[in-house]
Amino acid sequence: MLEDDSGVTKKRTLPLSSLSVSFRSHEMGEVELSCLAYAKMYLHASQFPRCSVNGLLLSSSPAGGAVCITDCVPLLHTHLSLAPITQLALTQVDAWCSQTHQRIMGYYQANACVSDSSPTPCALKIAEKIFEQCNNAVLLMIDGEKMFPGCRVPPIVMYERKDARWALKDKHTIMLRQWEETCSIVNQLFSSGDQALLVDFDSHLDDITKDWTNQKLNAKIMELVSPANGNV
Amino acid sequence: MSSISELYDVCWEEMRDKLRKWREENYRNSEQIVDVGEELINEHASKLGDDVWIIYEQVMIAALDCSRDDLAWSCLQELKRQFPDSHRVKRLAGMRLEALERYEDANKLYDSILQDDPTNTAARKRKISILQAQGKSSEAIRELNEYLEQFVGDQEAWHELSELYINEHDYAKAAFCLEELMMTNPHNHLYCEQYAEVKYTQGGLENLELARKYFAQALKLNNRNMRALFGLYMSASHIAASPKVSAKVKKDNVKYAAWATSQISRAYQVRGCLPTSVGLHTIQVTFWPRLMSSNNCSN
Repeated sequence: MLEDDSGVTKKRTLPLSSLSVSFRSHEMGEVELSCLAYAKMYLHASQFPRCSVNGLLLSSSPAGGAVCITDCVPLLHTHLSLAPITQLALTQVDAWCSQTHQRIMGYYQANACVSDSSPTPCALKIAEKIFEQCNNAVLLMIDGEKMFPGCRVPPIVMYERKDARWALKDKHTIMLRQWEETCSIVNQLFSSGDQALLVDFDSHLDDITKDWTNQKLNAKIMELVSPANGNV
Repeated sequence: MSSISELYDVCWEEMRDKLRKWREENYRNSEQIVDVGEELINEHASKLGDDVWIIYEQVMIAALDCSRDDLAWSCLQELKRQFPDSHRVKRLAGMRLEALERYEDANKLYDSILQDDPTNTAARKRKISILQAQGKSSEAIRELNEYLEQFVGDQEAWHELSELYINEHDYAKAAFCLEELMMTNPHNHLYCEQYAEVKYTQGGLENLELARKYFAQALKLNNRNMRALFGLYMSASHIAASPKVSAKVKKDNVKYAAWATSQISRAYQVRGCLPTSVGLHTIQVTFWPRLMSSNNCSN
């Protein structure tokens, strides 16, 4: 584990012989956040800078193993605290997850008011519901004040369930693989205009031909992540 | 970097007309307004006649939205020069101060407008926006209520207040605001649908039935409103599943839900896309039961 001066612990790709080290890591309560999940959350918050936005965090790794957020589904940018569309989105995402061998393991939100990144009652309620189904669920708040180009710290604050409340997670247990490469991928998405491809559930309801699973955008991001682009 | 006119092969008249459309329909596509408006002002200001002033105003506000203080400042200077004592221009100067987070200075400016003209609604609304920007929701709500006592016909203000109440989870008061809006805008499907969503969120059998009725009303006004269609399905399903309803009510709601399901499937088929969930019969409405409602069907 390396620590740079931004306070975020970065992990280089480990050689095969050190695999046992990474399996032990989940006992320390570590949560890994993939580039795909991070990029789409960031794009979602950027697409609606004047609104609060939220979404679900997904994992394709088996329950009980290392906690890894592998993907996310952007949900809403209007009326986060109204029930019908949230319920609808949760059931649709849940159904899609069982088809695609993923599970909902967390919730993210970015508040419209940039100076306040604390979880709202609505965020806590939804996170609570997710925790009922998944006992290592996380709640992620995006810190709008840190979303500027060149910021060296990931603009996220994570909470986990401890003693019947949501407690701030030690940022040293939040793993972001290849943080610089992830930032560069996000920048590339903005410069190519591909950030406009992002569809959230709200936009899908406005126009049902739009795909809220973001297959197209996922493919673009995975292309940028692949070793062929030198982004390992 | 090529110009807008080159990129999109448009002439200055089309750019001017586009800006007018966005202005009249109150679009907040600020990045586009800045791109088109900046070029129009720089290259074709002399051809715009008296339109140029309203375009300066529109571009200035869009520039503030995009953190383009340079552009906002130059638009403001042109407007100040042309209309030196205007309250309207003063308000724009206030908005620039807000964008720079100089809220005290902005408030002073608005207060001076209100001293001159106590009926100036724009200045009062800006003061309320400052409270919102500072996260002072209860004060914003209080001020907005006072404002509406005087200016009871201001639709925009009623809607803003409903949004504030929704954020504060005060659904009863949000519903009241939406009722005002539905009364004065009976053909607006969006107000019906939002009202139904608030009622659904409040929960309880009576509210769910109201929700279902207003989702249906929204659909009558606009049969392509997907939120209303899904809302109708979900409220009817919840009512049908409640142990408190009579057999007839249950039967009726099962029928409504089935109708909604068929309409949803048809909508997806017609637009050439299938819902990414397996099928509507798997929307297990009870799976995430009564999320966020304070009371539920069995109360």
